[in-house]
Amino acid sequence: MHSFEVESVEKKGTDYILNIDVLPDRAGDCLSHWGIAKELSVLLDKKMVIPAVKLKKAKTNISLSVKVEDKDCKRYTSMVLTNVKIGPSPKWLKDRLTVCGLNSINNVVDATNFIMLETGQPLHAFDYEKINNGIVVRKARKGEKIVTLSEKEYVLDENVLLIADSKKPLALAGIKGGKGCEITEKTKTIVLESANFNHKLISQTARRLNLRTDASIRFENNLDPNLTEVALERVVSLIQELSGAEIASIVIDSYKNKLKPWNIKLNTENVNRLIGIDIPKPEMVKILTKLGFVVSGSGNILNVKVPTSRQDVTIPENLIEEIGRVYGYDKVPAVLPPFSEPAIVNKEMYWQNKAKDIMKESGFVEAYNYSFVGEEEKVVFDLKGEELINPVSNYYKYLRPTAIPQMARIVKENSKFFKEIKVFELGRVFDYQKEIMVLSGTVLGEDFSLIKGYLNILFDRLGVEKVSYSPLAKSEMWNSKKTAEIKINGKVIGHLGSLSSNLMEVLMIEDAVFFEINFDELQKYCLDKREYEQISYHPPALRDISGVVSEDLEIEEIVEAIENSSNELLKSVEVFDVYKGKGIASDKKSVSFHLIYQSEEKTLDSKTIDSMVNDLLNKLKQTINWEERK
Amino acid sequence: MDFSELKNNAEKELEKIVDSKELKEFSDKYLGKKGEIRKFFSFVKDLALEEKKILGKEINEFSAVLEEKIVEIEKELKKAEREKKEEGEKIDIAIPGKVIETGHLHPMTQMMREVGRIFELMGFTIVEGPEIEDEWHNFDSLNIPEGHPARDALSLGKTFYLKGGNLLRTQTSSAQVRYMKKMKPPIRIIVLGRVYRYETTDASHEINFYQAEGLYITEDASVANLKAVLQKFLELFFKRKVEIRLRPSYFPFTEPSFEIDMLCTVCNGKGCSACKRTGWVEILGAGMVHPNVIKNGGLDPKKYKGFAFGIGLDRPTMMKHKINDIRLFHSGNLKFLKQF
Repeated sequence: MHSFEVESVEKKGTDYILNIDVLPDRAGDCLSHWGIAKELSVLLDKKMVIPAVKLKKAKTNISLSVKVEDKDCKRYTSMVLTNVKIGPSPKWLKDRLTVCGLNSINNVVDATNFIMLETGQPLHAFDYEKINNGIVVRKARKGEKIVTLSEKEYVLDENVLLIADSKKPLALAGIKGGKGCEITEKTKTIVLESANFNHKLISQTARRLNLRTDASIRFENNLDPNLTEVALERVVSLIQELSGAEIASIVIDSYKNKLKPWNIKLNTENVNRLIGIDIPKPEMVKILTKLGFVVSGSGNILNVKVPTSRQDVTIPENLIEEIGRVYGYDKVPAVLPPFSEPAIVNKEMYWQNKAKDIMKESGFVEAYNYSFVGEEEKVVFDLKGEELINPVSNYYKYLRPTAIPQMARIVKENSKFFKEIKVFELGRVFDYQKEIMVLSGTVLGEDFSLIKGYLNILFDRLGVEKVSYSPLAKSEMWNSKKTAEIKINGKVIGHLGSLSSNLMEVLMIEDAVFFEINFDELQKYCLDKREYEQISYHPPALRDISGVVSEDLEIEEIVEAIENSSNELLKSVEVFDVYKGKGIASDKKSVSFHLIYQSEEKTLDSKTIDSMVNDLLNKLKQTINWEERK
Repeated sequence: MDFSELKNNAEKELEKIVDSKELKEFSDKYLGKKGEIRKFFSFVKDLALEEKKILGKEINEFSAVLEEKIVEIEKELKKAEREKKEEGEKIDIAIPGKVIETGHLHPMTQMMREVGRIFELMGFTIVEGPEIEDEWHNFDSLNIPEGHPARDALSLGKTFYLKGGNLLRTQTSSAQVRYMKKMKPPIRIIVLGRVYRYETTDASHEINFYQAEGLYITEDASVANLKAVLQKFLELFFKRKVEIRLRPSYFPFTEPSFEIDMLCTVCNGKGCSACKRTGWVEILGAGMVHPNVIKNGGLDPKKYKGFAFGIGLDRPTMMKHKINDIRLFHSGNLKFLKQF
């Protein structure tokens, strides 16, 4: 509740494993037993004791040259030990490593691993005899190879940091040791490495080589460079104890830019304001001090010196979190913010929701499809669109430029079980990188006018006027004989119709009508306005007119001409026949309409109606060259 | 003829009537134009004035009584006939109701509407944000710079990249900075929508899933506010009193960061299989907006504070309806979709 989550507690032999989920910002100091012990000491108010270090010096001095040639190695601390007797580790050490999930190798390697777990500082031991002319820390050359301790060969490039000697790479810095200078039973003299590297580089190299080790996981997280020497002394002390080794060199330390503690100014009022609580200042000072921060300053402004082990702490908010978590978030009251203003209704989502409701009211089922289509759809439907660099599979390789292929799949799969299928989706499709909201759908069966009816309901309820349908010229996907372009103000905003017979054959699906409408465009014309229309108590009068017009003239245009040439008594115009062929000139077509006239004030007599129709026909003759058929 | 004899006959006949046909015949016989009573009148008119008066009155009274009785019997007969007819029309109420086809909204639409509705009540405006994002908005703007372990964890292996540059947003948080730039504080928004992660799909992993991201920015936002808003949301969502707790967590875009746990609604904190014996269920991630994110939104982090939270919507939808396979959401399977 104050630091980390204990994932599990497990008994192993006579020991217990506390499996703790260390958060990424604390991986720098808490992927270690010391780090966790420090947290516990603060939270339980107990003293933390660090094991004593005893060092034994050898009679002879062995020199080792260490050259750090790359700034991605922030510190390189090493020491030479001699008279090492390599052998198995004692039982306590083996048990400890096993419990923590590590294999026991030999006393020296086990000691480095043990101290890594203890301090969080990864350590490495080289066989001194196998190093030619000292150690160089440098970037790899392109094509350079290394065989690691796990006998795997890696081909490297200039982005990989190496520990090398004058002839060969010795280790992948911060990740894994090389086979070339492995500790064996014959090893007498060893070099112990305790270093610090650029965490970003180690993270990227480990991921690129797909080689994440206990060492690399720690190095990825900005370890304290001041830890190397402390950990080195701890491991030397332990190896001496385990193998009788003696120190044969000074501490060889390459540390150009020493990391020093830094200061953060913290306003105690800001702490309480941000948390929404009243923590007394002395309590804040006490918490920070116990955590290892050095606090000074008077009044509301605290001057906080941050230990180098806490590189995650750089801004006042980091300190506020430290105070808050130790003090306890359970003590924070729940205080609703004051009411300021009502939420703004998002117009786009308002119309989307309305359209969904209308479709649902018309009996449609809403489906969600993936944003992706596969190689197969691309080929079959002849689609063009954005390709993914890293698709999960061939089925999800492209951003979908249309939802029609997915609607076709829905028809195909569900028609085995359902006689009635009415499905829609309101979702995004992609014209390369442009996102377009579309309303797509399908209805099983071949009833074009039924779907048109549903769409008319949609347009009417959304308050969209001036929708017209016109024939589709040519299309790969749609059957141009059975498909209409949906237009608003002459602009194409969608399609309604059947898929091309070629597609139907390839897909082997039942007859179905599909539609797809650009909702971003449609939405521009949506209007939340509905006016009551006078109900007439007088009977309507029906008249039919038939005539011949130019073949190119669209029905919508004729209807418009009829409406423009009539007065408000004309209530409805409906086409009921379109004919081409015998008896009609080849560039003409015959069309017939039902006209309904009605007045709100009186019953219209036939004389009045006849005169209105005659007037209309005369006007049509002039405007659209209408030739009346009797 | 004696009038009392006529009276007697009529009353006797009346008692024997069993159906409407007989009643009609009776009515015609006595009260009809050529009926018995009319006939009697013609006999009366030859009588003396005084006698005429008395008998005439008696006849009128009797015919009124007869008419009344006929109406009464007619009512009874009709009632009996109706009852008889109804008996024959009795329906079997055990007959199954006919299957009616209606429309259905996707369970995720319903979930997003519910979450949106509750936050709208608290003054949060619902927005969407683009699904195709640039690296800056998806990572850098959220204080996840290149080389950051969280960036590597997300960008290498979890993010879909596009051939034409850019990527598919891995979380709705990527819209935070966009809206900070568009709006003026106080800012209260909920970003609802689809996000993308590279996953090997199985019953609990998807490449398309859904999130709600909340952002609140004012001059004095606090952890206490965050706690109250989320508690209120959860109470309205679960339609019951809930208890929550804040556990320290880490997200690059908030500081301090929290995991929000809710007291298990199944066992009320006693510990059960639903809460893995802990008594608490992890429900969402939240925190105080990191000063760098506020700065990236074009606001002064010294002046403005805020909180943010993110809720995955797939898991609660699955829990709510006991859906055992996340892939059903995008299956287009009508057997699934028609259940909601």
